[in-house]
Amino acid sequence: MTARQRADRLTGLAFVSPALLALTVLTVYPGLWVLWLSLQQRIPIFGIARFAGVEHYAFLAGDPRFWTALRVTLGFTIISVGLELGLGLAVALALQRQRLGRRLALSLLLLTWALPSVVTAKLFQWLYEPSAGLVNVVLGGSEINWLGDPDLALPALIFADVWRTMPFVALLCYARLLTIPPEVYEAARVDGAGRAATLRWVTLPLLRSILLIALLFRTLDALRAFDLMFVLTGGGPAGMTETLTVYAYRSLFQTLQLGFGAAIGCVIFALVMLVAWAYLRALRPEGAAA
Amino acid sequence: MRGAALLLAALVALAGCAQRPRDAAAATLVFKHAKILGPLDPIPGLLREFERRNPGVTVRSEPLTWTSDEQHQFYVINLDGATPAFDVLMLDLIWVPEFAQAGWLLDLSPWVPRGELAPHFPAAAAASVWNDRVWGLPWNMNVGVLYYRADLLAKYGLTPPRTWDDLVEQAQRIRAGERDPRLDGVLWQGKQYEGLVVNVLEHFWANGTSLIDERDTVLPEPARAAAALRFMRRLIASGVSPSRVTASDEEMSRRSFGDGRAVFLRSWPYAMDLFEAPDSPVRGRVGVAPLPSHPDGEAGLGATGGFHLAVNRRTRHAEAAVALVRFLASAEGQRAITAAGVALYPTRVDLYRDPVAIKAHPYMPRFHDLALRARPRPVRPYYLMFSTTVQPEFSAALVGLKTPEEALGDARRQLEYMLSAIR
Repeated sequence: MTARQRADRLTGLAFVSPALLALTVLTVYPGLWVLWLSLQQRIPIFGIARFAGVEHYAFLAGDPRFWTALRVTLGFTIISVGLELGLGLAVALALQRQRLGRRLALSLLLLTWALPSVVTAKLFQWLYEPSAGLVNVVLGGSEINWLGDPDLALPALIFADVWRTMPFVALLCYARLLTIPPEVYEAARVDGAGRAATLRWVTLPLLRSILLIALLFRTLDALRAFDLMFVLTGGGPAGMTETLTVYAYRSLFQTLQLGFGAAIGCVIFALVMLVAWAYLRALRPEGAAA
Repeated sequence: MRGAALLLAALVALAGCAQRPRDAAAATLVFKHAKILGPLDPIPGLLREFERRNPGVTVRSEPLTWTSDEQHQFYVINLDGATPAFDVLMLDLIWVPEFAQAGWLLDLSPWVPRGELAPHFPAAAAASVWNDRVWGLPWNMNVGVLYYRADLLAKYGLTPPRTWDDLVEQAQRIRAGERDPRLDGVLWQGKQYEGLVVNVLEHFWANGTSLIDERDTVLPEPARAAAALRFMRRLIASGVSPSRVTASDEEMSRRSFGDGRAVFLRSWPYAMDLFEAPDSPVRGRVGVAPLPSHPDGEAGLGATGGFHLAVNRRTRHAEAAVALVRFLASAEGQRAITAAGVALYPTRVDLYRDPVAIKAHPYMPRFHDLALRARPRPVRPYYLMFSTTVQPEFSAALVGLKTPEEALGDARRQLEYMLSAIR
C-alpha cells in the first residue's frame, strides 16, 4: 500500500466515521445491551437482578405460547406479504393501462397507505363488528364473529394488513413501470411478443429488483407486526393472533420481566436479520450486473 | 337548606385540613392523569380550588392517553427512570401494589392515618394498602353489576335472577316469547384482555373460589373454577350469549345492550348514565341488580375497578403533593365527580346518600349496595403478570379450543413457574 493509498483510506475513514459513530451509539450499543439483558433475570418490581445465562432461551424452547406466536408471526408474514405483492403488482399493471381517473386512483391508494395504522385498526374494528359492521352487512347480514373466532381472527387481520399496505407495493411498482422506456415495448411488439409474453419476458424482469425491495421492506415490517393485533384482538382469541412482537411487548411493558422480554426481542432480531440477509443475497447478482 | 348546611359544614372541616401544609408554598406540581371522558371534566375546577387554598402552589395537569396499556407503559418507563417530572399520578387501582413494591410511590402512611380510608368503600380502600402501608387514596370506583331490561322482565312476570341458572332460564323464556332473532340473552366481555379476567374472576367468586388465595395458592379449588369456566363456555355454546362475546369489550357489549339488543348485560356503573341519556333507545327501561351466583358461592360479588391517586417517590414537593392527593380524595374533591355530566362514581360511601349527587344520578343509592359488596381483584404486585398469563388460557376455554380443565392446568403451570421466579 502506497502512502497515497494509505492517506486516501484515512480520509475515507474520516468521512464515514460520523455515520459509523451514529450507528454505534444508536444501534449497536442498545442492541448489545438488549442481548446482555436477555441473559439476565431482571424484574425490577421485585428487585430481582441476577445473571441467568441462557435460562430464558431454554424456557422459550419449551414454551407453547412462544411457538404459537412464532407460527402466527410466520403465517401472517408469508400470507400477507404474498398477497400484498401479488395484488400490488396487479394494481400497478392496471394503473399503467388506465387512462381515465388515474390520478384519483393514485390519491385513493396513497390515502390508504397514509392512514396511521392505529386508525386503520379502529376502522376495521367497526367494519368487522359482528352485528352491525359493514363486512357482515355486505355478506348478507349473517353474524360472522370475525375477531372472536379462533379460525377467522388471523385471516381477518391479514385482510386488514393487505388492505393497508398493498398500495405501498402498487405505488413502488407503478413508479418503476413509468421509467420503462416505450421503445422496449415497441421492440417486443416488433418481435411478435403477445401480451402474456411481454409481461413474462419484458415487464416482470424489469420489475424484479423493485419487487425484491418491496418484498424486503414488507417482510421485515410483517415480521414485526404489532398494532393491528394489539388494537383489534389483543392477541386473542386463545392467543391465535399473538405475534412475537406482541408477546415481547406484554413481557416487557405489561409484566415487566425485562430479561425475558429482551430474550423474545433477540429472537425477533435474529429472525429479521436472517430474512434480511437472505434477501440481500438474492438482490446482489442483479445489482452487480447493473 | 339542609344540604347547604351540610355542604358548609364540610367546607369548614376541609378548610381546617387544607391549611396544614405550610411549607408547601411556592411549588409547581405536575399532575399526570387519565383523560376524563364525558361532557364534563371535573379536574380543572378542582385544581383551581386547590391552588386558591394553597397560595404559592400551582398545579399543572397533564392528561395521558386514554388506553390503560399506554398509561401503564408511560408510568413504568418514567418511574423506573426515577423521573421527578411529575409529582402526583392517577393510576388504575390494580397497579398500586406493583408500583409500591417497585419503590416508585411515596409511602403516604406518615400523612394518612388508617382512619382516613374508612369513609371509602372497603373494596376500594383495600387496593390502597400493600405490606401494611398506605400507597394511594381512592378517587373513583367501578363495580361489576348486572343490567337487565326491566320492561321485558316485567312483561313475563319475572324478577331479576338470583342465580346464573335462573338467568339462563329467563333469557330463554323471554327470547322464545319475543321471537326476535336480534335479541340476545346476556352480554359480557370475553375478548382476550383484562376485562375477560374480570368476568372470569366474578364467575369464580360466584362459585365460591378464586384465582389465588391468601396463602398465595394458585387456583385453590380447581373443580369449582372449572365449573365456572364451563358455565361461561356453555353460555356461548347454547346461544344464550352470542358468539361475538369472545371478541367484545366493555363498549361493544354496552352499545349492543343500549340498542335494545339483549336482555342482560354485565358491565360497570358508567353504562347507566348512557342508558339514561335522552336519546337512548332503552331509556327508562333498564334495571340494575347484583351479579347472580353459582351453586357453590354467593351472589353480588362484583369486581372493583377505578383510579387511585398516588405520589411519585421522586417528587421534590412531597408536602404539597400529598396535600393535593388528600384534597382530591376528600369528600369535596369527590363531590365534584358526582356532578351531572360526569360518568364517574366516587369511592366515598356517604356521597351515595348525598341529595345533590342523587339528583344528578338518581340510581346512585342502588349502586351503593352493590359497591358495598364489591371485591378487589387480587391485590398483589404481580397481578398484571398473572392476568396477562391467564388471558389466552381463559380465552381458549371460551372459544372451545381447550377444555376448562386443560386451560386451568396450563394456566396453573405458568403461574407457578412465574411465582417460583419471584419468591
